Amino acid sequence: MKRFLKLYMIEQKLALRSSDMLTFGVAMPVGVLILINMIAGSKQAGAGFTYLDSSFASLIAVGICASAFMGIPLTIADYRDKKILKHFFTTPCSPMWILGSDMLCCGVTALLSAVSVAFVSVVFLGYKMQGNVLAFMGSWLLTLVSMFSIGLLMASLCRTVKSVNAVTTLVYFPMLFLSGATIPYELFPSGLQKATGVLPLTQGIKLMKAVSMGAEIENVWKIVMLLVGITLICTVVSVKTFRWE
Amino acid sequence: MNACIEVKDLTKSFNGRVVVDGITFHVEEGEVFGLLGHNGAGKSTTIDLLLGLKKPDCGTGTIFGLDPRTNRKAIFERVGVQLQSSNYQNNIRVDELCKEMSALYKKPEDYHRLLQFFSLEKFEKSQVNKLSGGERQRLSVALALINKPEIVFLDELTTGLDTAARREVWRHLKELKKKGTTIFLTTHYMEEAESLCDRIVLIKDGSKVTEGTVKNVIENSPYENLEEAYLWYMGEEVTQ
Repeated sequence: MKRFLKLYMIEQKLALRSSDMLTFGVAMPVGVLILINMIAGSKQAGAGFTYLDSSFASLIAVGICASAFMGIPLTIADYRDKKILKHFFTTPCSPMWILGSDMLCCGVTALLSAVSVAFVSVVFLGYKMQGNVLAFMGSWLLTLVSMFSIGLLMASLCRTVKSVNAVTTLVYFPMLFLSGATIPYELFPSGLQKATGVLPLTQGIKLMKAVSMGAEIENVWKIVMLLVGITLICTVVSVKTFRWE
Repeated sequence: MNACIEVKDLTKSFNGRVVVDGITFHVEEGEVFGLLGHNGAGKSTTIDLLLGLKKPDCGTGTIFGLDPRTNRKAIFERVGVQLQSSNYQNNIRVDELCKEMSALYKKPEDYHRLLQFFSLEKFEKSQVNKLSGGERQRLSVALALINKPEIVFLDELTTGLDTAARREVWRHLKELKKKGTTIFLTTHYMEEAESLCDRIVLIKDGSKVTEGTVKNVIENSPYENLEEAYLWYMGEEVTQ
């Protein structure tokens, strides 16, 4: 355990050193948060809630989106390409060590992002969550785990850095813009709302949003089951298809 | 002398193409052993099979009498490996890489001593990406030694290095040999094999062509040096 932590600390240092994840995962949602607040923070977005209330949960999810769909697949593909994963086979440790520590790093990025958004919202923008905070954390964790399993699947199915890059672009940007993570879902025409409902992140954000606003959630268990199902299926398939080189 | 590596009838094919074809050899404790052949002759695949990274179609490879596929942990505490053309994480510094590799072993060597041994101590805080080719190869040997291995595998260690950098790496390997470490290397530079190896095996299209000490191998050919002898064994024209 001590040796794993040592490995993790170094990987974490490297993750913080490359500014990509901090830019996309942390600075961007905080920036969008401030922007939305300047434009429409206290305006009513619907009955009894403001745009800030509505976008809080979505912006918390941006960190998950960045670390799950960029951080995880890009790091794994890069390490596979550089034979770093293969090298771990020639040591007494399993390559699971390095995969585990990188997943942990991505989790920490997502957490850092969530904490920053929450801090700015609460301290500077006077945000107060109407729903149960603990339940919200639970919904965040479930969304995180299910999206990470999708990221892992992307890393497993794509053999080369090039294909991972392409798939990342195809998955990350639609999820970012169409799932309600950055552009408030309420602004979409209803046709688009229905269409984007198929994106897994949309479901995660729906859940987090409903919990954060303390709303009566129709289908809450359906969404939870869906996310759990996604996690199970993606994890099993990615473990089965994973290639070390 | 005891054999610490034994390879018997090792065979592997990919998509119907035989890459390693019934190779048999052994490596004795404390010697520098060279596996020689053209690019694509099956050198790296042989190493992968021997290290248990790939599963042989038939035949066996053992290290310390153990099968690496079932005794990974025990073997790799005692064996160091440098894979062909391996790379490292972006932005990682030399000291961080050493610490990361040390964390994988129960009783690692003090990496400062290794860096000193390979004349790399002044690069401790440098980014690995910024090192020259020769410095990076010396670092990769240093990393392969971080668990104080009894056997070290070096795959195509000096490919792409200029003559001076290559000789610098050789000098370090010779010192390592004096300390009693068994070295298993692959190369397609005959000069390198002649300078370093006690015993060599030549392979062509996955099969063994000949084996023996460098001296034997040369004597059994009509030529005077290893490079010409090698080409003769490989069935190619030797132009004087």
